[in-house]
Amino acid sequence: MIDELISILERQNVDWEVYWEKGRGGSFKIERERLERSQRKFHSGIGLRIGCRGKLGFSYITGLAHDRETLENFVKRTIKLAKISEVPFRGFPTGGRPKQVRGLYDKTIDEIPFEDAHALAEDFAARMAELRGEGVTLSGSLALGVGTSGVANSNGVFLEERSTGMSVSAHAVMGEGRTGTGSYYQSYRSLQPFEELESAITRAIEEAKLSGAAGKLGGYSGELVLEPEAFGAILGILLENLYGDSVYFGRSRFSRPGEPVASEGLTVMDDPLIGGLPGSYSFDGEGTPGKRTVLIEDGVLKSFLLDHTYASFLGMENTGNAVRDFRTVPHIGTSNVVVEPGKESLEDFEGIVIKKVFGEHTANPISGDFSLTVGLGYVVKNGELRPFRDNMLVGNVFEVLRSILGVGRETVRRGSFISPRVLAVGKIV
Amino acid sequence: MPIGVCMDELVRKAEELARRYGISYYEIRVTKVTASHLTMQNSHLEELALNTEIGIGVRAFNGAWGFSSANDMSRAEKAIETAMKIAKLSKGNSRIYTGDPVKDRAEIKVEKSFLDVDIEDKLSLVKEVDSLLKGDSISNRKVFYGDGLKEQFYFNSLGSEIETVVPRVRLGFSVTAKGNGEMQQYWKIFGGTAGWELVEGIDFPRWAEVAKEKAVALLHARSPPSGEFDVVMDPELTGVFIHEALGHAVEADAVKNGDSILAGRLGEKIAVESLTVVDDPTLPGRFGSYVYDDEGIMARRVEIIRDGVLVNYLNDRETSALLGLEPNGHGRAQGYNYQPLVRMSNTYVEPGDWSFDEMVAEVKRGLYMIGDKGGEVDTANGTFTFGAKEGYIIENGEIKEQVRDVALSGSILDVLKNIRAVGDDLKVDFPGYCGKGQWVPVDDGGPHVLTRALVGGLL
Repeated sequence: MIDELISILERQNVDWEVYWEKGRGGSFKIERERLERSQRKFHSGIGLRIGCRGKLGFSYITGLAHDRETLENFVKRTIKLAKISEVPFRGFPTGGRPKQVRGLYDKTIDEIPFEDAHALAEDFAARMAELRGEGVTLSGSLALGVGTSGVANSNGVFLEERSTGMSVSAHAVMGEGRTGTGSYYQSYRSLQPFEELESAITRAIEEAKLSGAAGKLGGYSGELVLEPEAFGAILGILLENLYGDSVYFGRSRFSRPGEPVASEGLTVMDDPLIGGLPGSYSFDGEGTPGKRTVLIEDGVLKSFLLDHTYASFLGMENTGNAVRDFRTVPHIGTSNVVVEPGKESLEDFEGIVIKKVFGEHTANPISGDFSLTVGLGYVVKNGELRPFRDNMLVGNVFEVLRSILGVGRETVRRGSFISPRVLAVGKIV
Repeated sequence: MPIGVCMDELVRKAEELARRYGISYYEIRVTKVTASHLTMQNSHLEELALNTEIGIGVRAFNGAWGFSSANDMSRAEKAIETAMKIAKLSKGNSRIYTGDPVKDRAEIKVEKSFLDVDIEDKLSLVKEVDSLLKGDSISNRKVFYGDGLKEQFYFNSLGSEIETVVPRVRLGFSVTAKGNGEMQQYWKIFGGTAGWELVEGIDFPRWAEVAKEKAVALLHARSPPSGEFDVVMDPELTGVFIHEALGHAVEADAVKNGDSILAGRLGEKIAVESLTVVDDPTLPGRFGSYVYDDEGIMARRVEIIRDGVLVNYLNDRETSALLGLEPNGHGRAQGYNYQPLVRMSNTYVEPGDWSFDEMVAEVKRGLYMIGDKGGEVDTANGTFTFGAKEGYIIENGEIKEQVRDVALSGSILDVLKNIRAVGDDLKVDFPGYCGKGQWVPVDDGGPHVLTRALVGGLL
């Protein structure tokens, strides 16, 4: 059917781009250690962009099984939108040959019968009931999915990629006496052994126990260690300034690369080419081959995140960061964000450690000010942990990144974010 | 609703499949959304979209839920069968409220449908607002406009057949100012379950000036101090405050899962006597309003706290049965391809009898904080965060210099008892989206309220 759509488009005197998706997924929600909600969903659709007389039109249809008349009307409608839209058209990528990233597709996930996935979720729930212990309530989720996405355009690009995914989450609540909560989330490209699910449960319970024992800390200002999740929240505030559209439209602190933004020890990359990771892809939503982009190197801003359109507006090189689904035009996003490990051994750090924060969307990316609630932290003294929570970690992202004193050696991955611990100067109220 | 499938045929097919799989309860939503969306930055149109989408979502119950959806109506029967097969596999031991069948057609009526407004006129509006936002020191102007008409046919195994038509429109703009070595933003959002008349009633020149003045003024404002302070919240901040501090913790699915600090506290005094909090999906024209929820239950106004006492939870078919509560129609889904969850609608604090001036006069050293920057809550621990767009220092009962945006934090059980004054000036008109794995349109608000909270300032 894509071929038929392309044959209709080729007869029009326009530039065009077709993006299609087809997929299915099963997901399972566990509440109070019981499997309560199971679902199996199917999705498919086509997004069409048309460039005509310097303007761009976009529209989409759901489903991939359409007759010729529907496809012709779809093309006609999108051309009409291009004529009235006034969205400037900067061409489509000419492509290049992407290198196939390994480990994005796992046949076992693709072929697992729904009944078996359901049974796995039942086992996950049963294991929760066994592990939970007195006074703890557990919930969680398990999801498996497979999908194909493709992009073709009038410059001769025609690419298709199949991928799979799995995600696991567990949430623990300690109900007796003082409450505590713990949670764990991870995503993958391949089917994981049951131990991975068990480990999600035990990590959530451990965290809930620490949280239940946590009090509020007095005020503090000085050196502290940010665990990867907490550092990710803070780094995310900076990253909003690196999106090419924000730069182009004057909504970023930066207008060109080259500025120092962090201490020398900090190097951050966007890398879609790492095998088997949730954020990886061989080509982006416009068919540009994925590539590794150094965003910050030894504290200096090296590149923005760009798609074809904004690279063209800014006169910069496209970094292949167009993210989309068939319902939307491409927008700029990250793939896998990787903080390069440093030389410090921060695993045995004694002092204040922040594990989790929340509320980062209330931060101000352009002023850099943030005040985040500490979900969990601990004071480490003589190897012993004293947990705390409910304080606020406050600061300015540009100042905190420049205050970094050390970057840890060992990295942790959570979803598509990989980072070691980071030692910086911060303030807790 | 012309969607290319015969509803009677679908109803019959569902009955037949339910018999085959031994399913006692099922419910099906067929939804059609016709939407337009435009965004512009610095006079550069970024997006102009006009789309219609049709889909089906099916839930079947067998002590636990099975769900399936399809966005291709030729797969409608397959989706029904899949949901029922899953439910059959599930065999849980939960119960749900069923009630009597309902046959109804409900439409939220508008004066002027946005479907009758040409896309060219919507584009002209966006351009006009963009030009109003131009000014010295303004480095970015962003304007967005979105509307959507949701037509839904709901039917279930009890024989309910409910057709609803809900129009929603939301638009807004932001400006970014640059200068004094700083950058700052300000924005304003409008919206409701309404038609184009909502757009025509907005005084854009006035609001554009407000946004520009605020963004530029904030370039010279300091961050607020940090620590615990008396805080007077404006109606918009009161809205996000009550949404985070109370709303999420009274969603009955959190209560059911042991994930709410307010579980088991119905009838308990959890707040000061002067506090009454309501969630009301029947408020006319508000962004979070609807007539029936996505489980075919009629929407009801719910008093959550009355005179300081926790009197009700927001619930759905499942949690109302589990907790023995009257169903109140708060099962909402982002779209046909999502299962309903317990959600808020329009949540607000009922007005009291304090004037704003009296409230400010109460404060020796504190803050007057304004506007909504979102928030987040850990419902089990009872800790929540909420952001304000700007504010002012209060000293000895007088409003002093302006301060920047900041997030505040508190503990549910403390902060509801620390409320010292509830104002007499109710406003519920702050349209937004609430995220809980799914996004649904909500509104919130209240009067000015004086409480005590942890302020995450930098000074």
